[in-house]
Amino acid sequence: MNAAPMLNPFSLFFASIFTSNILLANFLGMCSFISISKDMKSSNGLGLAVTVVLTITTALNWAILNYVLIPLNVEYLRYIVFIIAIAAIVQMLEMIIDRISTTLYMNLGIFLPLITVNCAILGVSLFMEIRNYTFLQTVIYGFGSGLGWYLAIMALAAIRKKTEKAPVPAGLKGPGLTVITIGFMAMAFTGFSGMLAVQ
Amino acid sequence: MSEAGSILKDNLWSNNPIFMQVLGICSALAVTNLLVNTMIMAIGVIFVMAMTNLTVSIIKGLMPRKVRMMVQTLIIAFYVIIVDLLLRAYLPDISRALGPYVGLIITNCIIMGRAEAFAQSNPPLISMWDGATSGFGYMAVLLAIAFFRELLGFGTLFGIQVFPDAFVPWTIMVTPPSAFFLLGFIIWIGKTIMNREGAPA
Amino acid sequence: MNKQSLIYTVIFTFLVSFVFVTVLAFANEATREQVRLNQELARQRAILNALNIDYGGPEDVQAKFDGVKVVERNGTELYQAQKEDYLVVAKEFSGSGLWGTIRGILAVQEDMDRTIGLEILEHNETPGLGGRIDEPWFKQQFRDLRIVDGTIEVGDAGEGDEDKENGEIDAITGATRTSDAMRVILSNELSAFQSILGGNS
Repeated sequence: MNAAPMLNPFSLFFASIFTSNILLANFLGMCSFISISKDMKSSNGLGLAVTVVLTITTALNWAILNYVLIPLNVEYLRYIVFIIAIAAIVQMLEMIIDRISTTLYMNLGIFLPLITVNCAILGVSLFMEIRNYTFLQTVIYGFGSGLGWYLAIMALAAIRKKTEKAPVPAGLKGPGLTVITIGFMAMAFTGFSGMLAVQ
Repeated sequence: MSEAGSILKDNLWSNNPIFMQVLGICSALAVTNLLVNTMIMAIGVIFVMAMTNLTVSIIKGLMPRKVRMMVQTLIIAFYVIIVDLLLRAYLPDISRALGPYVGLIITNCIIMGRAEAFAQSNPPLISMWDGATSGFGYMAVLLAIAFFRELLGFGTLFGIQVFPDAFVPWTIMVTPPSAFFLLGFIIWIGKTIMNREGAPA
Repeated sequence: MNKQSLIYTVIFTFLVSFVFVTVLAFANEATREQVRLNQELARQRAILNALNIDYGGPEDVQAKFDGVKVVERNGTELYQAQKEDYLVVAKEFSGSGLWGTIRGILAVQEDMDRTIGLEILEHNETPGLGGRIDEPWFKQQFRDLRIVDGTIEVGDAGEGDEDKENGEIDAITGATRTSDAMRVILSNELSAFQSILGGNS
């Protein structure tokens, strides 16, 4: 349909981590984000897993889209094909990690099943498709978004650790306070756009 | 209360997926800055959820266990593509505004959750009702957020101007963080009322 | 037949996928023509908006669009409309935003004194941030805006520059990159107009 956009790879990378964070600006990947961020260690594991899976699946879906779906003229099937490719990759990664090392499996592998239904994964694939990215742009965007998600969940886990014991109204305890905290984080992340303007 | 009635109350209020677990907001929060978009998005979710529950319930006896999750995903994706095609053909402006978010209904955790928890073990019609009412509960919360975001961010409701020209729009309401703030407040209010009723929080 | 056996699982999965894909293929075929018409209509409406021509329903769009002259000058397709005492020329533009290509229509007076209007055809900017380039207040800034020194300046973030003589528009709060991208796109577009119109007027 259209040619790929000419984007500065640096600003694409920076924007996907900070200014337009996949979670804080596009609201993707909230489900596991809120429940897992209770705990620093799990957050770390899930963040890593998301980064790895995002980079791989986005690149794979790019190849499927450009070498299979578009030549066959069946782009309308992309939702089904993308989600199945993601499920397959996650399953394979889980098996591979299980073979390689038990420690890695305990740190990373147990979070993998959570990832198939993480909207951020499918979201990045869909955005990549609608924006006509080149392969390089896809990889930068996938990896950057993963890092951005990782950063956001670590930051939230750290904040929640500090506010855990704080006295708050009963109704606000738990998800209410967490969601408002995410709101403040989202505002802070928007502030990074000033940094990029200086470059 | 009849079974259908208690399912309605459960899904709308005491077991509302957004209040209780903050589930499934990913696909929709981004489009809550305008009521029209939110409404269409929520109707899409209701349709997909009701039809998925119906289909899963009908074929549950035939479903091999090993591929259950995959087949459920396939069913959800199927209905989402139908919604996407219908929007493209008959509501092109809204389809353009929603963009990839329609596709993200697939990963809405509530849909698969209801299919697993309810449709797998209940007859078709009541499963469809369960799916639809879960969708209504979801729509109610999203519309509440969109109401404030559009009213304060643009001074309009469903695109119709309600505030005089002198009203200065709150830019913050248009930007993403406001959706989180409003959602947080809605959960706060909802939980406070529930605590007062003595329901388990 | 044993429902957990491998053969059954494979056959079941295959059949389900086959049925769904077939239905989708038909649905896609059935809506294809409508989708194409919608795209064409959206494009015509965008051109009319940019040229500042009012229109009603779809038939009216077609009728009004027939009044627009499509000409080719120096290998570029231009859309021309005659106003009381001057000619308005519109042209499609595209350029890179923060996330992807921004496509739209910009219309100017033939003597390049003022821009007449801007319409966005397609963009992928973040909803609520850069995505606000598609909101009326942003596009309204280009209505009869004087072009100063052959360009349009993007100033500080604001809610719409009302001054039509300063050749400046407000940037979008929290969307520095998109605003920068618009500056580049506009400047390219205006010099393109300059080289097309400059030689002939």
